[in-house]
Amino acid sequence: MLGLKKFLFRGSAQANLPDDVRASLELWRASKSPPLDDLHFHTRYVVVDIVSSGPNPDSDQLLGIAASSVWKGAIQPDDTFYVDFSTLDGEGSTVDRELTAFLLFAAKAPLVTYHIPYVGGFLQRAFKERLGVDFQPQWVDLAWLLPSMFEDKGDTVMPLDHWLEVFGLEAGMGRRDAMVNTLLLARIFQMTTVRAVGKQVDTATHLIDESRASSFLRRNH
Amino acid sequence: MTTQQQTGQEKAPVQEQVVGPVEMSLRQDGRSRMAGNTQAFLRKHAPFNKMQPDALQHFAEKAQIVFYAAGNEIVGPDSGKVRFFYLIESGKVQARQAGEVTVTEYSILSLGVGESFPIGAVTAGRPSTNRYTAVEDTFCYQLPAEDFLVLLTSSPEFNLFCTRYIASLLDQSRRQLQLQFSQRASEQQTLNSPLAGIGSRSPITVSPETPLRAALETMSKAGVGSLVVAGDDRKAVGVFTRTDLLDRVVLAELPLTTPVGQAMSPNPFIIEEHATAYDAMFAMATHGIRHVLVTDAEGRLTGVVSERDLFSLQRVGLRQIRQSIDSAHNVEALQQAAADVRQLSFNMLAQGVGAEQLTQFISALNDALTRRVIQLNLENHNFDGIEWAWLAFGSEGRDEQTFSTDQDNGIVFAPPEGAAVDTLKQRFLAYALDVNNNLDRVGFPLCKGNIMASNPQWCLTLEEWKDQFGTWIRMPQPDALLNATIFFDFRALYGKSELADAMRRHLLALTASNPMFLRAMAKNALDVEPPLGKIRDFLTDLEPGHPGKIDLKKYGSRIFVDVARIYAMASGVHNTNSIQRLRLAAQRLSIRSDEINAVLEGLNFIQLLRLQHQYLEGEPGTQGDNLIDPDTLNELDRRILKESFRQARKIQARLKLDYQVQ
Repeated sequence: MLGLKKFLFRGSAQANLPDDVRASLELWRASKSPPLDDLHFHTRYVVVDIVSSGPNPDSDQLLGIAASSVWKGAIQPDDTFYVDFSTLDGEGSTVDRELTAFLLFAAKAPLVTYHIPYVGGFLQRAFKERLGVDFQPQWVDLAWLLPSMFEDKGDTVMPLDHWLEVFGLEAGMGRRDAMVNTLLLARIFQMTTVRAVGKQVDTATHLIDESRASSFLRRNH
Repeated sequence: MTTQQQTGQEKAPVQEQVVGPVEMSLRQDGRSRMAGNTQAFLRKHAPFNKMQPDALQHFAEKAQIVFYAAGNEIVGPDSGKVRFFYLIESGKVQARQAGEVTVTEYSILSLGVGESFPIGAVTAGRPSTNRYTAVEDTFCYQLPAEDFLVLLTSSPEFNLFCTRYIASLLDQSRRQLQLQFSQRASEQQTLNSPLAGIGSRSPITVSPETPLRAALETMSKAGVGSLVVAGDDRKAVGVFTRTDLLDRVVLAELPLTTPVGQAMSPNPFIIEEHATAYDAMFAMATHGIRHVLVTDAEGRLTGVVSERDLFSLQRVGLRQIRQSIDSAHNVEALQQAAADVRQLSFNMLAQGVGAEQLTQFISALNDALTRRVIQLNLENHNFDGIEWAWLAFGSEGRDEQTFSTDQDNGIVFAPPEGAAVDTLKQRFLAYALDVNNNLDRVGFPLCKGNIMASNPQWCLTLEEWKDQFGTWIRMPQPDALLNATIFFDFRALYGKSELADAMRRHLLALTASNPMFLRAMAKNALDVEPPLGKIRDFLTDLEPGHPGKIDLKKYGSRIFVDVARIYAMASGVHNTNSIQRLRLAAQRLSIRSDEINAVLEGLNFIQLLRLQHQYLEGEPGTQGDNLIDPDTLNELDRRILKESFRQARKIQARLKLDYQVQ
């Protein structure tokens, strides 16, 4: 039974992993998740955005990840992450190492993004296929959270560009670099946490719950 | 497979070496991208758009992004030492003066995109004096203070920007210092003055029976906005104002033949003339009125005090004081005049008179006081037919008196042919003792070092003075050098000023022929250095009895004064005032004018600070000191003080070079 499970879920992928990757993954698995009941100010959130070859997580390719942390109220330049897979052409161990590096960077912090099915979908598939990791982080989805936090500014799920306009954030012209996008999301997230505190949503746990609840409510009602 | 596994085993702890560096490198990529994003913003704003690429890169790689919702404080005096330099990316921030004392010209200032704060505080590593609040949702770049300081030293463009910014604040600070005085001055003068002396003495009145048309014509002719309505007994029954015209006449459609008594506001607010300005102010504030009627004890109208009168009270005038000094017939009358001098000097300080003019002005009035004391005592001592002069030394000799100045004086006399010098000297000493004691009563304390005319050492004939100067100059022992710093700043205050001129010519001739003396003076002047710390801003532990304090005279103004004396003697300048000495000597020695002006600014600021300290912090009726605690200064004054000390250091360095003092 154990062998079969291993084979099905991670065994096959992991069997070919370089030893250093495997060791890092073990380390990552063994690491403790940070507490989520601290105030936003003390919680390290990782804001993440991706680049893909198309909109479909099941068939299109993950081409890059851009992430930055929001910690102590600030977007920290010393705590950012950017990887571009597009030039590697799927070259095995390098991609594995870079994906593992992302796990180490994120360090099980709650992840913030815009539209989990897209970002989470690509990340989940990549981690599963390449590393045999079932990637289930604590997600905060701004796409669902914003309408419930800023009901005065928009009460439905809207494209990100609409929110950028509403908040007066300068997004620049044309296609945005993934890092630029992440930094814009991070700014919106900073605004969100301030607003959330005003609504007594003052810890990561509360915020994650709120994100889930709003997505559930809006989908079902 | 085996090989692979062996490799793996060999590099078991290897992940640190493989995935670890990959993570580091991807973090570096993230940082570069974020920095690129930040740089795009910086390039659009001064001074960053002029900065070198590596400096800009440093800023961009260290700057965090923070958000402040509208209404939230970003940094303020209570936040402690400022930890970040903020640059506004979007939104608006309001800077507001905290506390009672305003440091800068503005009390509220709005900062927008591309502007930064709090430059002064982060440079000085102190808490901010302003309270910065986001008035709109605001994003800022925040650069940690340590990175800000790195940038200050590595980027000349950034350094220039911050220095200029602070320099502009310094100028504002000086002006505010004066404003602060003027506020205190107006409070002091208004609040305790009786109303009898304030406001209009002959208010325009009409009787209640006067028809409205006539009343309005009277108002129009006199160009006033209000009338007092009073009966023949001059007892006020009401006030008629422009507001009444609108409400009670025009809107009520009263014919202009109606008596004014029917349209006035009855029961005006009346206050007796013995009440103080404070009472009037209080009444105005309480009842929301602009005018108060003033009456005598019987209730008869004697005047009207308006809000405006309370703020433009007559100040004690210079001419009045001069008259009261010159006509004083005893020490008691002079005591009052001395108090007025102090008040008037303070008012002038309040009106923005600079330290240079002010110290000369105080000296001028103190001269008048001293001269009057000298004159009054001549009624009991007769020196007819003898040439003599009363000499002032030290700060009085330099026209640099502050509020707290003790006596430094002497007498020079030329005994007539064949006169008994000793007997004459005894007469002068007896006279001087009376003068010294009277001066003490008038407010010039006796000199602790006994540098007074009643001391036989300093009551000398012209020849004795010349010999004395000669001895000091030829043998520049420590005592002689110390005396030189006091006695070489002399001028005649009363009597035959030619005697003092003769002393001066002799002195300058002696110093010109004894170059070693000036060198010894220079060495002596360099013994005390300005209290600038290598790590901290100031050294505050130089005075054993007063930890935490700086003696602004000993470590501040005296440095300038000593240097000024040496250059004056070296270039044959006859003046004794330090500022005049430095200006004239600079011309003769070809020192650049901007360089000397910066030095004079430094001296002036220290003097102004001394005056402020002596007036604001001295207990009433006691002599103020020169000991200030730099921690109690606001941040900008600290910075100006630091700059002033740097100027002191600069001019000392020049002296060192010119006189080859090691």
